[in-house]
Amino acid sequence: MKDFLLVFRNDYSKQPKASPEEMQAIMKKWMDWVGGIAAQNKLTTAGAPLAAGGKVVRGNNVITDGPYTEIKELIGGYTIVKADSLDEAAELAKNCPILGTGGNVEVREINAM
Amino acid sequence: MKDFLLVFRSDYKSIAKASAEEMQSYMNQWQGWIDSITAQDKLAGGNHLEAGGKVVNHKAVITDGPYTEIKESILGYLIIKANSYAEALVIAKACPILAGQGNTVEVRAIQKM
Repeated sequence: MKDFLLVFRNDYSKQPKASPEEMQAIMKKWMDWVGGIAAQNKLTTAGAPLAAGGKVVRGNNVITDGPYTEIKELIGGYTIVKADSLDEAAELAKNCPILGTGGNVEVREINAM
Repeated sequence: MKDFLLVFRSDYKSIAKASAEEMQSYMNQWQGWIDSITAQDKLAGGNHLEAGGKVVNHKAVITDGPYTEIKESILGYLIIKANSYAEALVIAKACPILAGQGNTVEVRAIQKM
């Protein structure tokens, strides 16, 4: 089994403001999805959501406000799963709740150093 | 202390051109930088990623790439502890990846669940 990083991206500018009830329902979907992976003994790290905003550091000490936006999708969080292959890891990502709100999941093999 | 995610972006194609000596020197710079964070007791985790990957889009369709094919693909990440963005940025500014043209470090606060 190898570890794979799942990176959640979405265009947050297009997301409607969720009510507390909707937020609760979204959180439950995430907990169920992560719980389902854990039940298969394939969760390495539950990961975490990222706070909105951020900074980007470039060469020559240039620092800009805001998350990385060369592409419109921002990273909203990450999780690390265990799988035998990239394909199997991608299958686990197919039920990720972020897909339901127009987002996507990047799946990357972690290099054991 | 809060946790901050540092996301390293680079062009994988430019890295492939480095000689063995250049690669060794580069790895030493990374190790030195990471050791200095560890010495401050501010390292909380991180990983290097393999080139290539897959993306599961919002229709649950799996494709190769595409984030690894753009110039700014994610090379790896580190989780550090800092009291503020300002403190996290001091650490990020010393990252060896910034010596490469176009490379960036995204700094994001991790949300407590």
